[in-house]
Amino acid sequence: MTGTRWRAGARWRAGARDAALLAPSLAALALLFGGAIIGAARVSLVPLGQGPTLEAWRDLFDDPLFADAVLFTVRTALLSTALAALVALGLALAVRRRGALVRILLALPVPVPHLLVATVAVVWLAPGGLADRALGGLPVTPVRDPAGMGIVLVYVYKEAPFLLLLVLAALGRGHQESDEAAAALGLTPFQRLRWVTWPTVRSPLVVGSIVVLAFALGAFEVPLAVGPSNPPTIAEYAREATQGDLVSGQSTAAAALLLSAVASIALAAIAVRAARDPQGG
Amino acid sequence: MAALLASAPLLALVVRAFADEWRAPALVPQQLGLRGVQIAFSGSSAEAFGNSLLVAVATAMVALVLAWPAARVLGERRLRHPAPVFLLLAMPLLVPSYAVGTGLTEWFIRLGLDGTLPALVAGHLTFVLPYVVLVLLSGFGPRLTALEEVARVNGLSPFRRLLWVTLPAAAPTVGASALIGFLVSWSDYGTSLALGGGRPMLPVVLLPFVGADPQVAATLALLFLAPAVGVLAAATRAGRMPL
Repeated sequence: MTGTRWRAGARWRAGARDAALLAPSLAALALLFGGAIIGAARVSLVPLGQGPTLEAWRDLFDDPLFADAVLFTVRTALLSTALAALVALGLALAVRRRGALVRILLALPVPVPHLLVATVAVVWLAPGGLADRALGGLPVTPVRDPAGMGIVLVYVYKEAPFLLLLVLAALGRGHQESDEAAAALGLTPFQRLRWVTWPTVRSPLVVGSIVVLAFALGAFEVPLAVGPSNPPTIAEYAREATQGDLVSGQSTAAAALLLSAVASIALAAIAVRAARDPQGG
Repeated sequence: MAALLASAPLLALVVRAFADEWRAPALVPQQLGLRGVQIAFSGSSAEAFGNSLLVAVATAMVALVLAWPAARVLGERRLRHPAPVFLLLAMPLLVPSYAVGTGLTEWFIRLGLDGTLPALVAGHLTFVLPYVVLVLLSGFGPRLTALEEVARVNGLSPFRRLLWVTLPAAAPTVGASALIGFLVSWSDYGTSLALGGGRPMLPVVLLPFVGADPQVAATLALLFLAPAVGVLAAATRAGRMPL
């Protein structure tokens, strides 16, 4: 009896110690992130110098430009993420047995800021840019393309190497042994990809893709640098709103950004669910 | 070949930054010079570089201090139900940085902190801290715990164990976490724009030049790239990538 009580006490003390160790970072995050979301919700509902109102939300849903912005943002973000994941998977399969140097060179864009990649895209792909000059004219002009091709290109160039690192980390020695065993059992390359490789890389690829998708849905330095002026992305729409009316613009911007945040979290939840579901992949 | 394709576009920035005259359709510049450097540094760029550097270093350091104990608990898999902790860590990564900046501005204006460096550090910390915790936790585990136990049995005090065993063993992960934290803060645009209150930050100063003056944009972009090159050099020397 005394021993059981002592063990329970020790467990409680260990739990309390772990909670105390987690507290600084979790409290900081809860305060900053929670404060930010509450602050944005407050701005959207209580414009400067006015009482509570849903006007900003009504304006948002009545504005056809916002609907265009949502469609444009979701389309470019989904396309960028899907293409980056495909490129990462293809590259991972091609270089998984190569040395560290190839991996480092392929990972070169990972620490490079998004805005810098967008600047490089303008230098190369804008009308009169280096690619235009070298090839004597480009069949399409990705920079400022109304369909957002420039945005997608920048995100794929920047994010595919990030996803590649995650996939390569999963394709370690354990996977190689399983793959060789499957080959010895007579499975075709496609069957090995379907039954051995894909289950190994699915989780890191999905988690990484969620981060990429969330970033592409919310960032606006890349769309501002290489995207079209119309339609805007949601973040660009929010920024433009703040530059119009100083009072109601802030509320509209906060409402638009909150919607974008909710969309990111919802898409992440769907992706996590799909990745867990054995029938989902 | 793919590796070359991935790295070559960045090299064009160097030529563009020093091309005073480079009219289409010429493939090489008509005139090289320092016009881009002069314009880039005649405005608020130097101040912006200093601000961005200060905020990124401070954010990474604060994040490391806050993340260390949490990473230790998570890395040693001491929690029976870690999912809620990871969920809280992931949430800021799913939300637009401009949304976080806009929301925090509301409070910082009330506190009289809007546009100050501490406000920028706090805003950046919202995104940097999750990355630092997630990278740092990989440095802790049974191997390090066993080393610390040997040191404890041999009579080393907690401070000496930290100094002589824990820190040297976890140094590569601490370095990688600090670099990731620095780069996430250094690259941030949305929070800096929302919380800066007119204080120049490098990404905010760079963006208008991308469409208006490619030479100045390329010069500032090289400045923006410098820490990333440092990261790659360190990673190459260590023989592995920090992520």
